[in-house]
Amino acid sequence: MAFQNKRKFCYFKENGITDIDYKDVKLLRRFVNDQGKIMPRRITGTSAKMHRKLVRAIKRSRSIALMPYVENNSE
Amino acid sequence: MRYYETIYIVDPNLENTLVEKTMDQIKNELIKTKASIINHREWGKKRLAYPIANQKYGSFILLQFEIQDLEKMKDFETWLKLNNSVLRHMTVALKEKPDKYVEKSVEIPIEQNEVSKELSNIADNEGNEVVESVTKAENTSDVELSESSKEDE
Repeated sequence: MAFQNKRKFCYFKENGITDIDYKDVKLLRRFVNDQGKIMPRRITGTSAKMHRKLVRAIKRSRSIALMPYVENNSE
Repeated sequence: MRYYETIYIVDPNLENTLVEKTMDQIKNELIKTKASIINHREWGKKRLAYPIANQKYGSFILLQFEIQDLEKMKDFETWLKLNNSVLRHMTVALKEKPDKYVEKSVEIPIEQNEVSKELSNIADNEGNEVVESVTKAENTSDVELSESSKEDE
């Protein structure tokens, strides 16, 4: 996993990102587990402000079918 | 006066002319609301994260505009919803004025040129080296020849 055994930091603060675009699926994928669930701040280390924006972006891209609501369900 | 962005998904099996036709229809419908369109472009055919109307793929089209009459925008939204060729749409308010989209294909050939220039430079350098080595070889052979001629003498 990308976030284990590492110093926690806010990815967005570190990279100077202030606005998150819902169309940037490649970025949003980092903050979602393999089931398609949004990962908690506790694990990703995202700041509270950016986490709120992140959640909004992920939910938007879900509604336009760029990202899944659910994924990898046991068959 | 605010800026908005509408993204909508069109059936990917439609022919290009039909896609353009629906794009034109949507454009005309939006112009009726006295909105000024900034960008209206195809974003590309993508795999949908979940099937919509039994479709696995969809071509995404991005529309950015500026509008004053929000009552008319509601009509536009309902019109989009009733439009059969649009699988799904979503409108989002933008914070800032969006930039005009410029096709990237203009930039790519320049980069390629740079790369080719670099390549040609490398080739030139190599060529020079090759030439130098050839001249060295000639020199050495000359020396050898002279030595051999001395021995003959």
